[in-house]
Amino acid sequence: MKRTIVPIGPFHPIQEEPEFFQLTVEGETVVDADVRLSYNHRGIERLCQDLTYDQIPFLLARICGICSASHPMAFCQAGEDLIGVEVPPRGQFLRTIICELERIHSHLLWVGLAGHFIGYNTVFMWAWKYREPILELFEQLLGNRNHYENFCIGGCRRDIPQDKLPLISKALDDVEGPVEMLTKAVLDDPVLKVRLGGIGILTVEQARRYCTTGPTARGSGVNIDVRHDEPYAAYDQIDWQVHVQPAGDVLAKAVVRLLETMESIQIARACIERIEPGAFRAEVREVPEGEGIGHAEAPRGETFHYVCSDGTNYPIRYKVRAPTYVNLPSFRASVIGQELADAMLTVAAMDPCYSCTERMAVVRPRRGEQREIIDQKTLLKMSWDKTERIRRNV
Amino acid sequence: MDATCKQWVQDLEKRLESFRVSVVARGSRRIYVDVAPQYSREANRILFEEFEGRLATATGMDTPLRIEVLYHYCLDTDGIVVTLRTWTDKDQCELDSVATLFEGANFIEREIHDLLGVRFRHHPDPRRLILADNWPEGVYPLRRDFATRRDRTETPEFLRELTREVTTP
Repeated sequence: MKRTIVPIGPFHPIQEEPEFFQLTVEGETVVDADVRLSYNHRGIERLCQDLTYDQIPFLLARICGICSASHPMAFCQAGEDLIGVEVPPRGQFLRTIICELERIHSHLLWVGLAGHFIGYNTVFMWAWKYREPILELFEQLLGNRNHYENFCIGGCRRDIPQDKLPLISKALDDVEGPVEMLTKAVLDDPVLKVRLGGIGILTVEQARRYCTTGPTARGSGVNIDVRHDEPYAAYDQIDWQVHVQPAGDVLAKAVVRLLETMESIQIARACIERIEPGAFRAEVREVPEGEGIGHAEAPRGETFHYVCSDGTNYPIRYKVRAPTYVNLPSFRASVIGQELADAMLTVAAMDPCYSCTERMAVVRPRRGEQREIIDQKTLLKMSWDKTERIRRNV
Repeated sequence: MDATCKQWVQDLEKRLESFRVSVVARGSRRIYVDVAPQYSREANRILFEEFEGRLATATGMDTPLRIEVLYHYCLDTDGIVVTLRTWTDKDQCELDSVATLFEGANFIEREIHDLLGVRFRHHPDPRRLILADNWPEGVYPLRRDFATRRDRTETPEFLRELTREVTTP
């Protein structure tokens, strides 16, 4: 059968971030896939070598606009591993609360986008509406909707005063109902089950060979979660559970994220009950020679940081690995054999986050060459049409 | 050092004995293993297949005498990170690829090649990953001898070339 090459990107078809996928299709079926990334490498690792340990978290928060607590979190743990400092209990609880609030708004963002790709635009509007109060809460507590900048080696930079904690409880109460409703709606909807079930499957074996992390791995039945495996912050002082789904398809990943959002609400609530007044930061004076490793569970998976110090105020090597870096290659395993209409959804199921800006790329056929170019609109239309077909048949 | 970590150190020492490695535990959950380059691929295989480690990432580092590559494996059942440190001298700059064993090492080895110039023998897909297509061959931005923003007095010739290429229609 005739093979056609479908270029998607470098402007990402789903989230406005640059990424290039080249899909080879036979008819409607994807038979091969290639991924290119790094359209604008920002050189953050190199920049970190010119910054002091106090300045680095501010830069790292800007790696990602959505999970801007996870990277500084991993950095602080790497630093604490290097220096050997203990974070006071209040600092640990504050860190947990911020990380979990972030997970709630990040997962809601994903639910909204996923709804948009399959033509459920109401879900998109709702999920983003429910996400908004969490962002406003962040602005109220820490001064910014997204770049909270509250972590430093040894604890937190600022305290959240005890009398502000009811604000968080209220926001959690407000978001709980809608999230519960969304979860039920997804689990019970026959159209969604058919539309999302059985597509973009990543098997347990593939998930392990590609070294995937986070909901991408947990949706494939791999029971890993840094919060549970190597508890940091206050995660070992609270009862909570890791959600794993064995199916490996897009539906499984959606279910994992929704259940995790519910779990996050419970974790944050338990933290507010347990948190006590006291010191929230330990003092750090000297940075010794040596190495430190820290990792944290971001909404999209594990962020992994490595720092090497020569005893001065600047690290001599700083390494950052974001979760999408390991999850993205697994796209090749999960997309081959899929219909083209499901390709976007398969990428979206990983919740990719490239967080970088773009150079320009022009797609044009060579002189005299007849080539069909499928753009974002057409792809989106194909996906919506498929949902519509299923809806009519259910 | 807690008991689980001690147990892992003993297991690693025993299994990797023939490679003459040094195994050191730092803190309660971090283990560092130094392994000579000729054994690195085999040591990685053992970590991934027999110890069921998950390759979190690898770090390439330019040190005064050699280039080091650190493979970080997470042992998720016990929450321990094992770092395999191997090295290559700057003239030869070549190591056996781990990506031939499993797909998870593919991207990171391509990245280390781009940024530090380490060639990975038998890598299944040795294309560029990080650097732009028109970046010159043999210039590795994470090497110590690459002019940095801090100490660069003027733009290197090849960067001026690149800029020209972009601005000319």
